[in-house]
Amino acid sequence: MTAQSPDQLRSARFRMEREPSWKRLEVLVARADKAGVKSLSYDEARDLATTYRQAMNSLSVARDISLDLALVTYLEQLCSRAYLVVYAPQESIRGLVSRLLTTGIPRAVRRSALPLLIGFVAMFLGAVAGYLLYFQDPSWYFTFVPPDTADGRTPAASADYLRSTLYGDEGAPHDALGAFASYLFSHNTQIAILVFALGIFLSVPSFLLTFYNGLLIGAFFATFAEKGLAYDLFAWLSIHGVTELSAICIACAGGARLGLALLLPGQMTRRDALRHHGRDAVKLIVLAGIMLVVAALIEGFLRQIVQSPELRLTIGWGIGAAWLAWLLLSGRDKGAGLR
Amino acid sequence: MTTTPAPYRDIVPKRRVERLLPPEGVPINFYIASVGARLGAQIMDVLITYIGVLLVAFGLFWLDVLPMTATFSLIIILFFLVRIPYYILAELVWNGRTLGKRIARIRVISADGRRLTPHQITARNLMKEVEFFTPVLMLFTVDDLGLALGLITTVWVLGVLIVPFTNRRRQRLGDLVAGTIVVENPKTVLLGDLVAKAPARDTRFEFLPVHLDVYGRYELQTLEAILRDPTKGPAGEVELARVTDAIIRKIAYAPKVAPNDRRDFLMAFYRAQREHLENRRLFGDRREDKFHKTGDAPAVVGKKRWWRRR
Repeated sequence: MTAQSPDQLRSARFRMEREPSWKRLEVLVARADKAGVKSLSYDEARDLATTYRQAMNSLSVARDISLDLALVTYLEQLCSRAYLVVYAPQESIRGLVSRLLTTGIPRAVRRSALPLLIGFVAMFLGAVAGYLLYFQDPSWYFTFVPPDTADGRTPAASADYLRSTLYGDEGAPHDALGAFASYLFSHNTQIAILVFALGIFLSVPSFLLTFYNGLLIGAFFATFAEKGLAYDLFAWLSIHGVTELSAICIACAGGARLGLALLLPGQMTRRDALRHHGRDAVKLIVLAGIMLVVAALIEGFLRQIVQSPELRLTIGWGIGAAWLAWLLLSGRDKGAGLR
Repeated sequence: MTTTPAPYRDIVPKRRVERLLPPEGVPINFYIASVGARLGAQIMDVLITYIGVLLVAFGLFWLDVLPMTATFSLIIILFFLVRIPYYILAELVWNGRTLGKRIARIRVISADGRRLTPHQITARNLMKEVEFFTPVLMLFTVDDLGLALGLITTVWVLGVLIVPFTNRRRQRLGDLVAGTIVVENPKTVLLGDLVAKAPARDTRFEFLPVHLDVYGRYELQTLEAILRDPTKGPAGEVELARVTDAIIRKIAYAPKVAPNDRRDFLMAFYRAQREHLENRRLFGDRREDKFHKTGDAPAVVGKKRWWRRR
């Protein structure tokens, strides 16, 4: 290949000189693409960086001096491939998680006061409406609560039966609780993701879905309250509900942030606003996911083991206070104020 | 970065080009993946993951090593994991590719020319819930939904399907939130240099500057494509004759070219034309096509439609 006759075109000579370096890059990129950059030795990794820069340089030159379409196309593709390998994400999953937990999520929560307010207000209004509607006409209960969720806990049920659902074994033998917990977790998380993602439609569907969740709770609460079991139900709900319902509200807040970005983009274009607010919104839904895991564990294992209402209240609200402390206090270092 | 298409006619088939500016400062081009390829990849992913879970489930029941409830909870968890978490993890680990995307040869990249961040991957896949899973599941139950909900679902599905067609980069909602685009995975093939095969100048054909002042880059590269990939058989002979005649007429080349020499003539002309144009380039004279003299060139052929104006 070294037959460099003076007769040769300038662009062909250019290609002959540089081709070995491109081929080397091609081999390295193929390896890294298949087995990851970690599979390269020190020398190979160094070569990858050098030959990548050379190829980029060649591309820039070739675009100017060469009219060989095959060459320019090849270099374009080679550089794109190498670019994707060189600029692959390099963070470790562990570092990512710890950063998310110590600073990312708490800060995102503290920046989202208005959306969080929307989320919690949606749930609260729903609950109040459900409660009041029930006392107007108990048949509302059947409108709000799907029969498989109600599980016999209807307005017609006796106080004794209702009490047994709070303190009994719920007919679930202990070894089935694991399956129950995993079901709850995946079901609730699916709902939370849906509540979040629906926020893109101007946050209205998120609000409605959370409101509906509130209605359900309100009507449910009213059924028990009518039979004088308000305190017991409150305790029963508290142990996991503080975490679980907050998680739904937080997912709604995440959705609301997306919706607000579209509704009130401020000085940015809507597209940019969506991208900007998306950062915090995603952190909110990750937080909701974490809280739902915890809620499912409590609900699956702790709720039926702990039978005293006082203890249930203490555990539930204690965990709630722990969440609050984490979200309010973590990640407040010097850099935080500068953001 | 800038999204302007290459400002000249392209020899390669018309595809949507996304021009990124990496930190090296040399813009590189990616081809936007077609909506069909993306849908195919998505369907492939659903098939792979669900068949995988079903196989695991069958395996667990058949082996019967775990207690029944543990098996059930494992399967429930698996069914959850193959929805959103699978996509997030796969794109994290394989740098923007899931199994389906690998098969369809497409991948996710960050639209800003920097590396794909975990945040972007999470965001774009979370939106999949409203864009794909929920509407598809609701479509299956559309009979039980009643008129109002059925109508809402239909509007929802249509609305979400339309989004990629409303922007040039074919971004779906999740891509818009995350700032990502889906592109074809580049593959590298280096074809030989036509000129390198015949390094010596063919003395049978002599081209004067007046001959070489006619054509520009577009015509040269069209000729390159013909020479690289000639039509086989008798049709190829006809094509060769047509091309040769057209060139001879256009550049007013006086000497006769024997039918057997047509290919050699075209090679020699390609070489001379390329040398000439490359030299002109060095002097800052970039001739895009044969209209370079008059200047009334249809320089940009890509049609701009009113709904795509940005």
